Amino acid sequence: MATVVKRLDLTVGELVEIAGRRYEVVPDREGGVTLEPPITPAAELHAQRGTKPASAADFERLSADVPHDDEG
Amino acid sequence: MPGPPAGGLPPVSIEFGSVEWEEEVERYDHRSRARAQAQSARKTIEADTAKLDWKRCKADGPDGTKLPGCRKLYVPLGQEGASEAPHGFVFQLIQKPDGSLAWNMIAFGERHPTNDKTRNVYERAHKRLHGHYP
Repeated sequence: MATVVKRLDLTVGELVEIAGRRYEVVPDREGGVTLEPPITPAAELHAQRGTKPASAADFERLSADVPHDDEG
Repeated sequence: MPGPPAGGLPPVSIEFGSVEWEEEVERYDHRSRARAQAQSARKTIEADTAKLDWKRCKADGPDGTKLPGCRKLYVPLGQEGASEAPHGFVFQLIQKPDGSLAWNMIAFGERHPTNDKTRNVYERAHKRLHGHYP
């Protein structure tokens, strides 16, 4: 049986649903795109919950003695 | 669950939102080591029985990640090196509607993925904060 290729005209950031599961179109590391389960943006979650990022001053007050390392 | 107080400030809670938990931890197979380690770490954090080795995330990190206002914990808790603690949680400091502060988990994943197609935990955190990968 010949395989039928479904061509999708998608761009980065769009969502698709396959077999009831949602996937987001994201860039891969080779100049193309790939599909992966979506990561809901923090801004969307803040809007739903009535939260917001704390101020930089609050972060510094709480983290002044917390060390960095060489990672992210 | 209180976090570490600093400078007389009130305790800051540590929170694991259901959306973030599902997207970050439950994406791993339920039998996977990563998922088991995340669940164990969460249990310890919520029980408030261990000193947490917090580290600040970088506002301008390697690979273009920008995580201002964030801290991280390596998993398993209490371990440091990437071989002993291959995973990490990233938390963002948030202000809740009542004005209180909380550390909200925004990403969980590998610190140094062996598969170069896999996004590390910092890239995942960047995407949640900024809506796109660095």
